[in-house]
Amino acid sequence: MTHPCVALRDVTKSFPGVKALAGVTLEVRRGEVMALVGENGAGKSTLLKVLAGAQSPDSGSIEMDGKPVHISSPRDAQALGIAVIHQELNLAEHLSVAENIWVGREHRGRTRLLDRRSMAAATRTLLAELSIDEDPSRQVSRLNIARQQMVEIARALSLDARVIVMDEPTSSLTEDEVDTLLALVTRLRSRGVTVIYVSHRLREVFSIADRVTVLRDGRHVATRDVAETTPDEIVHLMVGRELKDLYGSRSVRSVTTDHVLELEGVGSGDRLQDISFCVGRGEIVGMAGLVGAGRTEVARVIFGADPQTCGVIRVEGKELRPTNPRAAIRAGIGYLPEDRKGQGLFLGLDVRPNISSACTGAVSRKGWLNHREDRRLSTGYADRLRIRSTALERPVGKLSGGNQQKVVLAKWLAVKPRILILDEPTRGVDIGAKAEIYQLIRQIAAEGVGIIFISSELPEVLGMSDRILVLREGRLAGELAGAAATERAVMALALATDHTEVPA
Amino acid sequence: MSIDSGSLADASPATDGPVAPGTADSQGGHPRRILKQITGAREAGLATVLIVLVVFLAWRSPFFFTVGNLTVVSRQIALSLFLSVGMTFVILSGAIDLSVGSVVALASITVASTMVDAGQPPYVGVLAGLAVGVVIGAANGVLVVRTKVPSFIITLGMLAIARGLALGFTQGATISGLPDSFLTLGQGLTLGVPNPVWIVAVVALTAHVVLTRTTFGRHVYFIGSNEQAARLSGIRVDRVKIAIFVICSTLAARSAVIETARLSVGQPSAGSGYELAAIGGVIIGGASLFGGEGSILGTILGTALLGIILNGLILLSISAYWQQVFSGAIIILAVSLNMWRQQSR
Repeated sequence: MTHPCVALRDVTKSFPGVKALAGVTLEVRRGEVMALVGENGAGKSTLLKVLAGAQSPDSGSIEMDGKPVHISSPRDAQALGIAVIHQELNLAEHLSVAENIWVGREHRGRTRLLDRRSMAAATRTLLAELSIDEDPSRQVSRLNIARQQMVEIARALSLDARVIVMDEPTSSLTEDEVDTLLALVTRLRSRGVTVIYVSHRLREVFSIADRVTVLRDGRHVATRDVAETTPDEIVHLMVGRELKDLYGSRSVRSVTTDHVLELEGVGSGDRLQDISFCVGRGEIVGMAGLVGAGRTEVARVIFGADPQTCGVIRVEGKELRPTNPRAAIRAGIGYLPEDRKGQGLFLGLDVRPNISSACTGAVSRKGWLNHREDRRLSTGYADRLRIRSTALERPVGKLSGGNQQKVVLAKWLAVKPRILILDEPTRGVDIGAKAEIYQLIRQIAAEGVGIIFISSELPEVLGMSDRILVLREGRLAGELAGAAATERAVMALALATDHTEVPA
Repeated sequence: MSIDSGSLADASPATDGPVAPGTADSQGGHPRRILKQITGAREAGLATVLIVLVVFLAWRSPFFFTVGNLTVVSRQIALSLFLSVGMTFVILSGAIDLSVGSVVALASITVASTMVDAGQPPYVGVLAGLAVGVVIGAANGVLVVRTKVPSFIITLGMLAIARGLALGFTQGATISGLPDSFLTLGQGLTLGVPNPVWIVAVVALTAHVVLTRTTFGRHVYFIGSNEQAARLSGIRVDRVKIAIFVICSTLAARSAVIETARLSVGQPSAGSGYELAAIGGVIIGGASLFGGEGSILGTILGTALLGIILNGLILLSISAYWQQVFSGAIIILAVSLNMWRQQSR
């Protein structure tokens, strides 16, 4: 019997107040893709940090090829052939692809100066082996995130990595970029590289992994052959309970003529052209399309964050010229941005000021803050969104992804919007929190708020929306009724493989 | 006192009652929670260091606790505190203002010149000096907002411009012959306490109230914490930023007024290197240079710490020429400790 490529035996790791890993045993075979799933806080990131040498375990051992090893620093991990591709990429943006790959190991010529030509050649060979078509001299900041990830993977291979650990590699990729990445993972496997793949997205897990390990509350729950399990079983193992009807049921409502938001021929430079649609009171309108198709741009134009160059936007029949977010908020529009940390939250500040940050007017009089009112408001929304009240006086950056997203939701609910634009509201959020967010969105809609629901995850768009708008290259490609829409129909519109009717 | 900035404090709603620094947020909370906040606050460590230092100096030097020395120290700390309080707003918003020292110079000669050369009464001189602060601050703010050039660069340029203006107008000469009624601002005592201390106490209390109890104050923190998110939350970021630079510069000008009164001359070389002390006070007080974190209480403690250490060096007969070495080392040490504590948390 051959030894497993990597094995963790009874690994524990505690932080003050939390047992992040409570005796986890995990064996990964050579050349397999092992998916690691679990809710936020299940212990995945701690496990990765242990493997990467960023944290040493309190007890337990790690073996590679049957021999016990000590990984006490990232350098150790590198020497053992373990490479971790983190969610936040680790590249020098202003340097070229080749420079990034050979950083710290630059080729030098006889004169001790950099030998760019030899580095470029080595890079080209490396990229070709992975079937990545990229110019080695290109500046990394000009590449999209998917490409940058590939540069990191190439670097890992150039370091003779035998085990590549990927932490949520697809969380900021578009659907087609995801496919390219998955293809690359498959190629890595065929080269004999062992891949540990951490993801929230079960679809990916089922399309590439050989086996899947479920962690919950720092414990190893189960390891299954992908061929012998189902997504339902994995979800069940992850949350420890049955998740029935994740998306809730659509409200039974007749086609409404009571529009809270209307767009007529709206455009923004050459990025958006001729966008016309309306959102009814209490309606959830899904917005699908590839990344770059203009979904976020539509949201930002309505919200006044990007310039509107033509067309008309009406809120409850009244024309809105949103020149800035402030005016849009006044008109009753809320916008939950896709980049939660970069645009939605004040990470260093407490949860309480975060919740009232878009409605300081409501908790103040003539510029004077009313702390009692502020506390009342934030406690109210925290209760409603089931954010622990002990978290209110803590920096929001210390909360989990799901709780952070709930804080952003609370912030926008606090402005009492008539229209709420949600841009990727469940990105980087675990399954349990997702279900809560879906339920909340339903509730908000039931209260009469018109909702625009933007997401790259088609199942949730299909599950949540009353109607689905599909964008393609800055234009509206078509509209589908939510209940009848299928992934294929949406993708057909998004990719223009099928010429369905385009609304006037 | 002819000048104070009590206007905002006077507008405070009567129901709020007096504001205890550092605990304003916890009013209405449980006493235990308030206690926990005071002892757990980042300021607590700093206050301890300060007390230890005072005890040490009192033990080593018989002069430390004399009326004469305390008057000198408190006046010195008061003068740098004007600058640090203003700098607190700027640093909280994630920016920096390097021009404050030069603003002191330009305001100093403006005050003196208005009274001596133009023969205007003291209050006109004071207003003229403050106007210099408002104008330079507005220029800094508008340039930062419009050009999107980092404040570091804009105010570095302004540092040279304002200093150059002060030197150019005076041709390097000092302006003396200021009226006695003006000099009491810097030299007089009220109830045994130097006037500058009274004035700066009002300024610091006002600043504290503004930062903890007004929407403007909160917006300063929002902008420093995440400018993009602030914009998308409907906050008028540009306006707030300009106001912040005006506040900082005007407080620098106010410091200049009082320093001119204390030294009895307007001088174009005044305030040289003050930006170091001002930024140092804020940073030692626990503020983050990346913005969004810090408080007036911290700034007061940080500034007091710097001031008392420098006083201690003199009392322990270490030449004044060595002072800057110590200031610099203390700033580096304090910030390193802060970073280390934040990481280990």
